[in-house]
Order: sequence, then structure tokens, then C-alpha cells
Amino acid sequence: MNGQQLDCALDLMRRLPPQNIEKNLSDLIDLVPDLCEDLLASVDQPLKISKCKKTGKDYLLCDYNRDGDSYRSPWSNEYDPPIEDGSIPSDKTRKFEKEANFAFDMYREQYFEGGISSCYFWDQDNGGFAGAILIKKTGDGSKKFRGAWDSIHVVEVQEKGAGRNAHYKLISTVMLWLHNSRPESGTMDLGGSLSRQAEKDAPVTDMSSHIVNIGQMVEKMENSIRSTLDTIYFGRTRDIMNETRSLVDLKGKEKMDKVNRQLATALAEKNKKSAQ
Amino acid sequence: MSGLEEISEDERVRIASDFIKAAPPGEFKEVVNDVRVLLANDKLLTRASSVFYDYATEQFTTVKVDGEDTLITKEGSLDGSKRFYDPKNSKSFTYNYLKNEATDVEEEERDSGAEKWREAIQTALKSYLDEFFPAHVTAVYGKLEDDQVTITVCIEDHKYNPNNFWNGKWKSKWEIKFPTAGGFAKVDGAMSVQVHYYEDGNVQLLSNKKVEESVQISSPSEGANNVVEFIKKSETDYQLAINENYTSMSNTTFKALRRNLPITQTLIDWHKLHGFQVGKDIMNKS
Repeated sequence: MNGQQLDCALDLMRRLPPQNIEKNLSDLIDLVPDLCEDLLASVDQPLKISKCKKTGKDYLLCDYNRDGDSYRSPWSNEYDPPIEDGSIPSDKTRKFEKEANFAFDMYREQYFEGGISSCYFWDQDNGGFAGAILIKKTGDGSKKFRGAWDSIHVVEVQEKGAGRNAHYKLISTVMLWLHNSRPESGTMDLGGSLSRQAEKDAPVTDMSSHIVNIGQMVEKMENSIRSTLDTIYFGRTRDIMNETRSLVDLKGKEKMDKVNRQLATALAEKNKKSAQ
Repeated sequence: MSGLEEISEDERVRIASDFIKAAPPGEFKEVVNDVRVLLANDKLLTRASSVFYDYATEQFTTVKVDGEDTLITKEGSLDGSKRFYDPKNSKSFTYNYLKNEATDVEEEERDSGAEKWREAIQTALKSYLDEFFPAHVTAVYGKLEDDQVTITVCIEDHKYNPNNFWNGKWKSKWEIKFPTAGGFAKVDGAMSVQVHYYEDGNVQLLSNKKVEESVQISSPSEGANNVVEFIKKSETDYQLAINENYTSMSNTTFKALRRNLPITQTLIDWHKLHGFQVGKDIMNKS
């Protein structure tokens, strides 16, 4: 029953308006509390921001830096509110996490020219490690059009061949939210998320190779999702709307199509005659 | 997470009803099925099913009555539950929400007081709808109360393509009120569009706009033409404005959120980026 319930819960989240994702997810957990951990791990939500008490720097909250009701800051490695025995990465993984935060801060600055990024890494039971790379950018709220971008990249790393190679598995979700309200068009919300996966093997010389390999993989993936978002948000959903109501007079269009067909036939006839 | 205490049955019904009410166009059955499995209690599902009426009437769900399409709307409801009226053919029927079927169809007598106005608007609409809606279904209701005529126009056009993971619906509702003697009619309109795209994700367009206008209505045919002209102009303006929003959002808002490539127009050199980090570490240590 539980497996079927999880399938139905995920199907439901794929159907209900993503604009209400937080309320829907919390209702869903109230309805089926047994699915709580599964749902929090598999349903992405818009990223929330918190300020690190120790460093004063903003960081992003998600299921990957959560332990109970506390969240770990990537800058101080401390939980807020403080908890005893909160899970923290091993020294080696923490050192890597710091490097990753630095690298993806630079990446974010170059592509987003603003926003916030946070990376979280943890050790896995199979000897490998995994991490989440998060980026959030909110558009200028003073303009007519409001927008927000949330990136959630989850990567699993498994070293092979005595550490000379590594296998990378990446699952990326990008949420894009656009809102507009003006008298001519009423209110308009265009939002949601797209997810993609990728895997690759790449050579490794030391821990910093992982930054390069993961960085290239995330950059390629995010560029590709951006281009898909462009097509689906501004092309596909717009076309579908314009298929439920036509922008041009359908009868006029029918007439034009008929005239064009007749013209084409006449031209073909003429060409045939002149060729003879 | 803390706070996992059992919620009450009322709260479970409330959540189930909210989910069903939020089903995107064309996905009612799928959402009801998901909710049924999640509730795992058919008694509670029966209680939540009272929301089927709200959902179907808000969506202007289409149904075939004796082979002809009509809409499920609040204006057409005869008992606030399962019995509805098709104003075009003046028939009543029992609607089955899950099967989307009309049964027990009966001929009904018309409300003669408003009929000449209702019929004139229904006739005038036809040509406009054929011009702009590839698959429209409409229902025009009329009633007369205390020398006041109320005509309600419901328009729906949808395109469902679940095999390619998308569904879309355009709908609008127009309430036209005027004294039987004619004069000016107050027209209130509400238009909305919803698009759902769900291949490897969940993207939705939700939009709505309200308008109102005073329209001259001296005779049925002249009044009907004025009303339809206003509907046509309102819907065309609204659709054009959404299309303009799409262009602006794509050209400005989206571009400002994330660049296509860094300002250098080349991909990031991650080796160099990392080298910079090592350099910074040395600086910090010295």
C-alpha cells in the first residue's frame, strides 16, 4: 500500500498547480504522515533563505542540510537552532564542501549576477559521497514583472579504479516562477519545475578534480535546462493557450488557406504547361 | 519533522476536497484516483465528493446530452447537486461526475420571459465563436425576475493532449443584466486560461481577468450584437495582452534571472576557478 501511496502522492504533486506547492506538500504530509520523509526527499520546494548567525552570510535551506527542525549553515558548519549530535560531514568531506561553496559562488556570480548559492556534501555508506548544489535568484520586485529561479542539483560520486576515476550521477531540478499583474492582462502566473538526470565517468587526480568534474557537469546541465525552460515556458505553454483560442479569425484563415491552395495548384499547372 | 499527530477526519476531508478542486483541466479522474488511494477510506472519499459539484461547475465541464455538447455550470444547476439544464435544447439531465455522462434526459419548458433576449445572444455568439475558437462549447442562460432580465453566457474551449503531457483550457463567463424595457445593460465578464505542461516536470500558466461595461440594449438583435462585440473585444484584448507578457517575460525577466553564458561568452574554466581558490587559501594563510 505504501509504495502505491507514494506513487499517487508524487503523481498528485505533478498535477496540482506548482504555485501552491508548499501548501499542497504540507497537506499531503498531514494526510499520509508515513510518507513524510520520502516526500521531503523527493518533492523539491522553492528554496528558503536564512542568515548564518556566526558569519552573517545568507544560506539556502533544503532537505539536505536539515536535521530535525534545524538547518546547517555551509559557512559555519553549525546548526540553527543548535542541536546536539546533528549530522555533519567528515573532515575530508567538509573541506571539500568549503571548496565547492567557493567555486559555485563564482559560478553563480558569472551566470546569475546576484542571488545566493549553498553547497552541502555528506558521506555515503558505500564509501562515496554526495552533495546538493543550490542556487536561488529573485528578480527585481520593483518592476511590473516578478521572477524567481531555484536550482537544486543533487550529485552522487563513486570513486573507482583505486581512485583514478569517478562515476558521477546528477539529478537537477530548476524551478522558474514568473508573475505579472497589469490591467490589460489581469493576473498571470507562469511557474513550475523541470527535472533532468545525467551520468558520467571522469578521471580524478585529487579531491579538487571532483570540483572540476561536478562543476562542468552542473554547468552543462543548467545551460541545457535553461534552454528547455525557454522553449517550454515561452513557446509551448503560449502555443497551447493560443490553440484554445485563436489569435486570428479562423474563418479568414480557412479562406486564406483555400486561396493559397488554389494559387499553388494554378502555379503548378502553369509550370507544367510552360515546361511542355 | 515534529507534529505528526493524527489529524481529524474533518481535516482529512478538507485536504482531499482541496486537492480535487485544484485538479488541472482534463485531469479530474486522475486526481480523484490519487486522492482515493491517499485517503484509503471510501467513507471519507464520499464526503469529499461533494466538492465534485464545485469543481465541475467552476471548470465549465463539457458533457454530451443526446449527442450535443453542453456545459456543467452553477447557472444550469437545478438542485445544487446532480441535476442540470441544457439551455440550448431546453433539456434537463442527471450528471455523473466520474463517468462524465448525462442520463435521465427530459424535455423542459422554457422561461419565456427572457427567451427572446437569450436566443438573440446565443445566435449572435455563434459567428464570433466560430471565428476564434476551434472547439468551443457554450451555454447561454436566461431568467426574468422583477422586470429584470439576466442573461449568463458561459464559453469554454479546451485542448487535452495527455499522451504528450499537456492540457489547456480557456473559459469566460458573462453576466448581462438589464430591465425588460431595454436601455443599458451592465455586463460583467470573467475570463481565465490555464495550461498544464507535465513532461519531466510540472509547469502551469494560470491567468484571469475581470472586466465590466455598460452596453446599449434596445432591441434583442441590436443588444445581442453590442454584447457580443464587447465580449469579442474583451477576449481579444486579454489574449493579446497575455501574448505581450510572454514576450516581455522572455526578453527581460527570464534573461535577468540567469544568463545564457557568462559575460565572457565562454563556458567557465573550472581548472582556473579552482586555481584561484588555492591562491586565495595561500593569501589567507600568509
